[in-house]
Amino acid sequence: MTVDFKLPDLGEGIHEAEILSIKVKEGDAVEEDQPLFEVETDKAVVEIPSPYKGTITKIHVDEGKVVTVGSVMISFDVGGSAKAEKSASSTAEKTVNDAGSTSKTAAATKVKEPAEVARPASGNGRAGKIHDPNRPVPAAPAVRQLARELGVDLHSVAGTGPNGRVLKEDVKASATGTISRMASKNHSAPAPVEQEAPAISLQDKYGGAGSATAFDASPMVAQPVELPDFDRFGKTERVPLKSIRRKIAMNMTLSWTHIPHVTHFDEANVTELARLLDKRDSQKERKGPRLTMTACAVKAVVNGLKKYPQFNSSLDEAKGEIVFKHFFNIGVAVATERGLIVPVIQNADQKSILEIAQDLADIAEKTRSGKIELDKLQGGTFTITNIGAIGGTSMVPMVNYPEAAILGMARASQKPIVKNGAIEIGTIMPLALSFDHRLADGAEAAYFVRHVINLLEDPLSLMLD
Amino acid sequence: MPRKVIEIAQKIEYLSILDENANLDKKLEPDIPADKLKEMYRYMLLGRRTDERMLKMQRQGRLGTFPQSAGHEAISMGSAANIGKDDWHVPAYRELAGMLYRGWPIENIILFWNGFEEGTRPPELVNDLPICVPIATQLPHAVGIAMAMNIKKEKNVVMTYFGDGAASEGDCHEALNFASVFKAPVVFVCLNNQYAISVPLSRQMNCETIAQRAIAYNIPGIRVDGNDVLAVYVATKEAVERARAGLGPSLIEGLTYRLTPHTTADDPKRYRSDAETDEWMKKEPLIRFGKYLVNKGVMSPKDLEEMEADVDSQVKKAVEKAEEMAKCEDLTNPYNIIDHVFSDVPQFLQEQREELGEYIKRENDRKAKKAKSETGARS
Repeated sequence: MTVDFKLPDLGEGIHEAEILSIKVKEGDAVEEDQPLFEVETDKAVVEIPSPYKGTITKIHVDEGKVVTVGSVMISFDVGGSAKAEKSASSTAEKTVNDAGSTSKTAAATKVKEPAEVARPASGNGRAGKIHDPNRPVPAAPAVRQLARELGVDLHSVAGTGPNGRVLKEDVKASATGTISRMASKNHSAPAPVEQEAPAISLQDKYGGAGSATAFDASPMVAQPVELPDFDRFGKTERVPLKSIRRKIAMNMTLSWTHIPHVTHFDEANVTELARLLDKRDSQKERKGPRLTMTACAVKAVVNGLKKYPQFNSSLDEAKGEIVFKHFFNIGVAVATERGLIVPVIQNADQKSILEIAQDLADIAEKTRSGKIELDKLQGGTFTITNIGAIGGTSMVPMVNYPEAAILGMARASQKPIVKNGAIEIGTIMPLALSFDHRLADGAEAAYFVRHVINLLEDPLSLMLD
Repeated sequence: MPRKVIEIAQKIEYLSILDENANLDKKLEPDIPADKLKEMYRYMLLGRRTDERMLKMQRQGRLGTFPQSAGHEAISMGSAANIGKDDWHVPAYRELAGMLYRGWPIENIILFWNGFEEGTRPPELVNDLPICVPIATQLPHAVGIAMAMNIKKEKNVVMTYFGDGAASEGDCHEALNFASVFKAPVVFVCLNNQYAISVPLSRQMNCETIAQRAIAYNIPGIRVDGNDVLAVYVATKEAVERARAGLGPSLIEGLTYRLTPHTTADDPKRYRSDAETDEWMKKEPLIRFGKYLVNKGVMSPKDLEEMEADVDSQVKKAVEKAEEMAKCEDLTNPYNIIDHVFSDVPQFLQEQREELGEYIKRENDRKAKKAKSETGARS
């Protein structure tokens, strides 16, 4: 008799866990309570003991994989007893139900209902009765407060959250008289991303626990889209989205869903600067680190940020305030085998161009070898990404949430330049500034980029800064 | 209108009888009959093993979130040993040993933490309130019961429990104040395990002890080694005698330590150092009490081993029974979640009840259809 063990809710409202280690292998005979897995949830690292005595027929998960509550983790052959089967299946069913409802409900439903069923989308069924003033309206305290502030009667709002829960956006939509964005759609509504995700990400970025599972997955699973069956077309392979890749995915989703992006393009004539850098590079007895275009860009950007502080700010959505930062920590994107990492040059405004170049060389090396300290990955206020070494004529970079802007540098190459009615050859570097349009306007972005370009085009003033 | 000094007592006793190395203070040793000592040890052990078993079950998805009791057995048992069936036991949620001693079946505890309110039904013939998860709300209840007994001229006492975190809540003050003013026969037992989940004592209060609050209420207060079952026994015995004699409440603070997380959803490594935990592991209550029993000749090492095995099998049987009980029709009826909330089911709940019925019917149909198609596929 084969029974499956599914990942239980190991804490209160845990959605998923990362498998840290698997302590058994297929074919092993295990005793009840023998440790099977060590897993990490966003609350704790816990050991999962075997609920059965039997032989392991299949392990369905891999180390490092993130598993959602209710997924089959391991299958056992527990012998032929019918009693064993019964108790095992009820346990497994309850496990699944525990994820979303109280244990009581879970236990209550387990006899008559299969465990895999989704809970009823009750919001739909009640749409016609929402005006009943005696009906308790499901809404979080923060949402209730917002409703009071905006003078919205919660009874008049169609909740689009799970089980008809009223969300902040429902209240806002109701207040502005617009039809709730989701109400007309189906009721497999997304989780209230706006409330939770930024706080979690900020904490993680600025000194949170730093574990991959510290992220709430809600922005990513808000509306999971079903993929076609690729295997019909050819062989596929699936790997878990984890560690750095997972963090990047989380951060990009946050950036894309929260920041209204605009990108401004311009070109810098870096003929003079490129010549100087080449010259320094070719010096045989050069003192100090190699001076790069990126180091020069960091220097120029810091100068520009002082004049245009809106590009060194963040928007506090919850409080409706702009946070201007009086420090200049410039993140520089570094490609590694594990994915893109953005180490930070701290207090770049207090460093000379050579110190910046030295810092850049150090952190790039440490980042590539995986030895970068956590505090060097935190506290960035602006990001620079330079894909020039690879190629490309330009790009549309995405803001590194929760910063305000990112400057992309493409390959500096020799181009014909029209000057005083004649064509000459010069070195042109395309620049692209993506920014949070809530915090800055297009003209400000143009001025800011021009400011940076003016410095890059005039190496002497850059060096003297 | 002079400025003068008001004289108040400013001392709090500390009591320890059996230290962590099982060294005994003979002068303070209580006279407890051998059978009672054995019984106390047995229920402490039963509490510990049940707690350990439940933690495993939670990890296996067989139990809901629950707070562990390991480490608190001496306070719970040492105090509960002093009250009879007619007295009241009003627990918080780490008094597993005492509840089992009072006759609560392990099955009920397991059912409770699996969300069945049926698990809260106290055993026959004891005056007990169920486990109380909200913090400090049980304390005014305890005082209310005790004040009612004063009115009814009953001579029973109420033994109630709370943690150091609860000591920081308003309910705790209200309960202590009322009990003190109305001389309610309550024994307040504080399980001071030094952390309110992750908040250390130093961030909760600016006092040396919780016991010293008794001074402000003008009631007897004492701090005891909360891992020393004999010290707890002696202090609570005195408090019970005072309460029974009409002298009002007492406050007993047992200094102890959680050997496990706060609940199954907690990771204490994030706020307690390994060194600190290791230090307190050595001070845990069962080992020293076992040594005491052996030194005293009450039990042999072999007796202890046999009791271990006996307790293990008792826990095992109880788990099987609880899991069997959780399947019975009375407990699994899905309408339970609606039917017993109000005496008359209000309209909106009635609507939900009907929706639930439709849902169950739909799912049963779906399941039947699926089963049929699977059978078809196989044949």
